[in-house]
Amino acid sequence: MNLKKYLSLTRNGIMESLQFRLSMFIVFVGNLLYLIVVYFLWKAIYASSGEEVVNGMTFSDTLIYLVLATALFNFMEMYTVWQMGRAIQSGAIVLTLLKPMEIRRYMFWEYSGNFVVNFFATLLPTFIVVSVVTHGAIPLGMNLLYFVISVVMAVIINYNIDFFVGTICLYTESIWGINIMKQVIVLLLSGATIPIAFFPETIRTIVYWLPFQSIYNSPLTLLLGKSSDIKDIGITLGTQLLWCVVTYAISKLFWKISLPQITVNGG
Amino acid sequence: MAPVIDIKNVTKEFKVLNRREGLAGSIKDLFSRDYKTVRAVDNITMSIEQGEIVGYLGPNGAGKSTTIKMMTGVLEPTSGEILVNGKLPYKNRSKNAQNIGVVFGQRSQLWWALPLVESFRLLKDIYQISDEDYDGMMKLYRSLVDIEPLLHKPVRQMSLGQRTLSDILAAFLHNPKIVFLDEPTIGLDVSMKAKIRTLIHALNKEKNTTVILTTHDMGDVDALCRRIVIIDKGRMLYDNDISHLKGFFGSYRTLKIRVDGDLKKEAEVIGKEFPALKVEADDEWISILVDEEKITVMEVFTKLQKTRRVRDMQLEEISTEEVIKKIYEEGVE
Amino acid sequence: MKRRGLLFYARLYCKILAQDLKSKMSYRADFIISTIGMVFTNIAGFVSFWILFRNFSTINGWGYYEMLFLYGFSLVALTPAQCFFDNNWSLRIYVYSGDFIKYCFRPINLFFYYQSEVFDIKGLGQLAFGLGTIIYSWIKLGLGFSPLMLVKVVIFLITASLVMIALQTAAAATCFWIQNSFYVLDLAFRFKDYAKYPITIFNKGFRFIFTFIMPIAFIAYYPSLVILRPDEVPLLSWLSPVFGIVFFYVAYRIWMYGAMKYNGTGS
Repeated sequence: MNLKKYLSLTRNGIMESLQFRLSMFIVFVGNLLYLIVVYFLWKAIYASSGEEVVNGMTFSDTLIYLVLATALFNFMEMYTVWQMGRAIQSGAIVLTLLKPMEIRRYMFWEYSGNFVVNFFATLLPTFIVVSVVTHGAIPLGMNLLYFVISVVMAVIINYNIDFFVGTICLYTESIWGINIMKQVIVLLLSGATIPIAFFPETIRTIVYWLPFQSIYNSPLTLLLGKSSDIKDIGITLGTQLLWCVVTYAISKLFWKISLPQITVNGG
Repeated sequence: MAPVIDIKNVTKEFKVLNRREGLAGSIKDLFSRDYKTVRAVDNITMSIEQGEIVGYLGPNGAGKSTTIKMMTGVLEPTSGEILVNGKLPYKNRSKNAQNIGVVFGQRSQLWWALPLVESFRLLKDIYQISDEDYDGMMKLYRSLVDIEPLLHKPVRQMSLGQRTLSDILAAFLHNPKIVFLDEPTIGLDVSMKAKIRTLIHALNKEKNTTVILTTHDMGDVDALCRRIVIIDKGRMLYDNDISHLKGFFGSYRTLKIRVDGDLKKEAEVIGKEFPALKVEADDEWISILVDEEKITVMEVFTKLQKTRRVRDMQLEEISTEEVIKKIYEEGVE
Repeated sequence: MKRRGLLFYARLYCKILAQDLKSKMSYRADFIISTIGMVFTNIAGFVSFWILFRNFSTINGWGYYEMLFLYGFSLVALTPAQCFFDNNWSLRIYVYSGDFIKYCFRPINLFFYYQSEVFDIKGLGQLAFGLGTIIYSWIKLGLGFSPLMLVKVVIFLITASLVMIALQTAAAATCFWIQNSFYVLDLAFRFKDYAKYPITIFNKGFRFIFTFIMPIAFIAYYPSLVILRPDEVPLLSWLSPVFGIVFFYVAYRIWMYGAMKYNGTGS
């Protein structure tokens, strides 16, 4: 594997995203607003419940969870479905297929520059601010390592799911519909909008058997260090790894099966 | 009669962002921005009469579309005055729009998903065309082109040629005084080009519509325009009859000969024999550009034949394309 | 030339709408998938709402059904922005590619002509969902019914919808100045998620911000007080129709100014 060609894609990505200085600022404001709303909403919820701990989470736990879930969302969102959908509709997908790189890799590495920018622009600052503001509610130990490993796998699972959904665009013109369905399902069932701990028992059981909770719930639970039991950590990471492999295999297979849609129909 | 378009000393300036290059440049751009002023149109004056077809020519980025945007009322001139039908287009964009039609070769203005006839009906409502006028126009269209197969086809399913044709018909539908055509034949095949030229010509004759045509295709110019205006870098280089233009360079003809031996070397020798003429050689021909006011082609040819065996020869009149190219490159002088 | 008055535009819009619906039908698969996507969004929104609030009888003095009423009200008030002004989402693409110029050559109002091109029919699902929620919570709350209440609720819903239209229009118009306005529009679009909460959960500072600077409180909270708590209606609630109209007018002027300015920079 020639690393240089991947890195040159990364570099271009960084340059492009820097040009959008205003959009960076706007994303920042947007997230800040969201966090403010989340803060007051949950404050009201906890105040009304009259309890310190609801469903095993304190107010600051919930807040850290949701703040970092948002940061993770912005870090991971690659708009893959949109890009693939557009490329398929405009026929530009054929050009991508001509590149001397497998398309899923090409798209991933083309975006990878944004990971670097997003990491320093949103994820890291959010993390620092949160840990300072909450006076060390986030434990700083081995859990950070688990968190990083977990995030890497979350990115992969998320990308695999996106690529899978993007492939559906080969069959239908409805990019918007496909994308919104994916987004809604992933955000709700991954615990990005409401911590899974708050879900009713039955729904929670179902959700644990689906890949989505590996995207947000797993890394965040590991980070909050709710369980220091090495067995629990092993199970969480193991489940993620399993989902990495399974989603990779499925999305790759689906793409392979679907490719004739282009070659036969001419895009 | 007052001219339909009257442009006096019009200048248009834009502010553009100077982007720096490279990664370091992008980071610098993040913190400070550097603007510069570009003069897209520089002191242009011309007037156009009702019913004229004017070819508006210039290389890419010469300021053609900026001028057109000012005439259509989308842009306001930085200085100078434009009058279209005696009014300032920028101040009366909506009113002005009623009297003009616009076609951009690559950008359809029709409703993408609708059959053409539905687009026409919407345009009828938008421009408040009376039933009588509408029917009259459709009758004229039917006599000029075979539109029946197009009428019930959604625009998105049309070929580029059909779409351009439809766009032109749509632009003339409300019988505007002026129609702006921006590269109407771009990307079309030869027969479609001919069809479109015939259509434009016929509509201009029939309705006495003024047509402003920008194009890079000299075939369009030769087929349609009597008058051409050439601009480059925002400045007007030429505004006169096309025949007059040819007169400028008409005394030039190109003599092409083929001789034995190495053409490049031969060309050098000939160049020394006729120091006043431009001599070039390619793989097949030696081309000699002859200014007939100084020496006739026959004289040159006779002289050449005396010293060497000419195996083959061709004589080329200078084409509009070459004239324009010369003007772009060297100016009118 | 006849004058182009309100009647002219109303008739023209109906004609364009009819044509648009006809052509939508030709993309049937897209239509169905988008509708399903929209239904999904609404269900997911409702599920999140239910998961959050089912545990608590009141939040900040707001009962479950009152919250539900606000939620339904916000859904209905957001529908017109979705249905009639969806072309705002494409604006930046038209501007970027230069295709926007084609809207400038017609002898009719530019804003009208641009927005009339797209009618987003899937918003109607949201309308139905929202109306159902309003009616259900209305009955559960035992608010009673009178023709006057109906008139009130209709007027306040319509003027409330102008607020979201204004926010979206102003956000879309930013693309005339900045390159990547998607983020701004996305930010405005996320506001709609915050509209459903009672503004009393926020502290004074943010109450001010959400009332006057980012006026999302006028989408559901202030107008619905007129129905929900008729005994303690604040002045701002009665003024909300005026605010709706003012916000819309300002956004419209911004949009038109931007359109003219954009053309001035050439393409």
